[in-house]
Amino acid sequence: MASARSPSALLGTFRAASHRPATAWRQRCSYHSQEYTQPPPFPPAESAILTSALSHVPSYGFTADALRLGARDAGYMDVSTNLLPRGVFDLINYHLVTQRLALKSTVQFPSTGDQGKKLGTGAKVRTLTLARLRANEPLIHRWQEALAIMAQPSYASTSLAELARLADEIWYLAGDESVDSSWYTKRASLSAIYSATEVFMTQDKSKNFIETEQFLDSRLGDVMKMGGFIGALSEWADYTAHSAVNVLRSKGMRV
Amino acid sequence: MNAQSARVLFRRQLLAGGRPRAGAGAAERGQYRCLSCTARQLQQQQTPPKRDGTTHFGFETVAEALKEQKVRGVFSSVASSYDTMNDLMSMGIHRLWKDHFVRNLNPGRNPLTSGPSEQKGWNILDIAGGTGDIAFRMLDHASTINHDAHTKVTVADINPEMLAEGRKRALETPYARSPRLNFIEANAEKLDMIPDNSIDLYTVAFGIRNFTHKEDAIREAYRVLKPGGVFAVLEFSKVNNGLFDAVYKRWSFSAIPLIGQLVAGDRDSYQYLVESIERFPSQPQFRDMIQDAGFLVPGQGWEDLTGGIAAIHKGVKPA
Repeated sequence: MASARSPSALLGTFRAASHRPATAWRQRCSYHSQEYTQPPPFPPAESAILTSALSHVPSYGFTADALRLGARDAGYMDVSTNLLPRGVFDLINYHLVTQRLALKSTVQFPSTGDQGKKLGTGAKVRTLTLARLRANEPLIHRWQEALAIMAQPSYASTSLAELARLADEIWYLAGDESVDSSWYTKRASLSAIYSATEVFMTQDKSKNFIETEQFLDSRLGDVMKMGGFIGALSEWADYTAHSAVNVLRSKGMRV
Repeated sequence: MNAQSARVLFRRQLLAGGRPRAGAGAAERGQYRCLSCTARQLQQQQTPPKRDGTTHFGFETVAEALKEQKVRGVFSSVASSYDTMNDLMSMGIHRLWKDHFVRNLNPGRNPLTSGPSEQKGWNILDIAGGTGDIAFRMLDHASTINHDAHTKVTVADINPEMLAEGRKRALETPYARSPRLNFIEANAEKLDMIPDNSIDLYTVAFGIRNFTHKEDAIREAYRVLKPGGVFAVLEFSKVNNGLFDAVYKRWSFSAIPLIGQLVAGDRDSYQYLVESIERFPSQPQFRDMIQDAGFLVPGQGWEDLTGGIAAIHKGVKPA
């Protein structure tokens, strides 16, 4: 009996031993970046120069002059702007990155909405997108310069990557947890809407950018309609294809 | 039977004499000036870094005290034909590199946009700039692009012949008699005549490769620069693309010494030139050397030109 029991006892100890590494492994796997403090996106000297340079943008625009004045304010010299290899584009990039990262702390959602019900993902996306657009407000009369620089061939890919990161950040903060192909379509459509609204905003003369807000709402509405239509269309196509295959099979065809 | 025993014997000989044979092979190879040079280069990389009194002069190892003299000798002999040779060797591209280097640094303080301030113009130190190539471009850029009539350039070179060539060329520019340009004979490792924290921009174009102690020169640059000042180096570097590198190596090791022999009548100096390019540290290594001296480097620390044949390295002294 003792000999018969020993294998199971052995197995038991083996299980007990293997249990701990398994949890450790699971803990190692479940890394979530939001649980850790991220390093600052720019080194201190660059941040100092760029932060003070941004304060000169409303009067000097996105130009080398704003950079030079920023460097002087930060205790550096004109020549120190060589620290920024891409010059003015680094200034724009700094604005884009810092404003994207600021969204996390500037927009807080209450656990329940005004009427006591929870805020939907769509509403959260709208709020976050508006908050990001409003962050351009102090520079909006100069923003076309920035858009022109971002569209230059050597910077276009970096700018598009930053746009994608912004769309991802907004969907993430809105609590989107999709893991299907809509992960891509959501980000793509939000990127398109955001960039269109941003361009619209540079021309908006209305009070408190009310027209920009309306423009954003109607674009988001379009996407909802389009999304619903495309969803229904793909469902219909899928059903039809399956039925066709099944009809062929019922006729004895080897499909 | 006979053949087999012979084969065994041969194999045994190989086993027994493997080591001395390999040594003899390396020594033999050492006598030749090889074109691909990887064998020789590997051999020399195994020797621990200098500081024990010797340094490299191209692929040769020489006493530290000798290198300075030898470099001086090289540039004395090439001073007169310097420009023609540069044009031939780089097919004129060196002018584009130098133009880009200067335009990128954007020297000069524009009086229209910078408003009144106590400091007028930049104080630029161009090391190893004997022939004035960089200096004249700096002054031209400052005057015509930034409307700055105060920026000064001090050209320092270890070689009096190169300085004489530069002075001669300065006569054809508007800066010959102006206080904006002056020439001094100096060793970049000991810039005693230049006070601490006095320079806005320190440049070396195609010079740092020839320095005996590069670290000392970088440290000296750190000393003379003002806080916020920029250290900028234009130098030959490592080509990134393997295929392009093969073509480039073939060109540099076979064509350049030949052009040197035909045009300047001096093969050895140009052989030294290509060998010293080969020995110069790669982009990340040189970036680390700049960082080790205390400089902040912009972005990745360098910018490749023409696929990495040359590279611009920059460092900013923290304020």
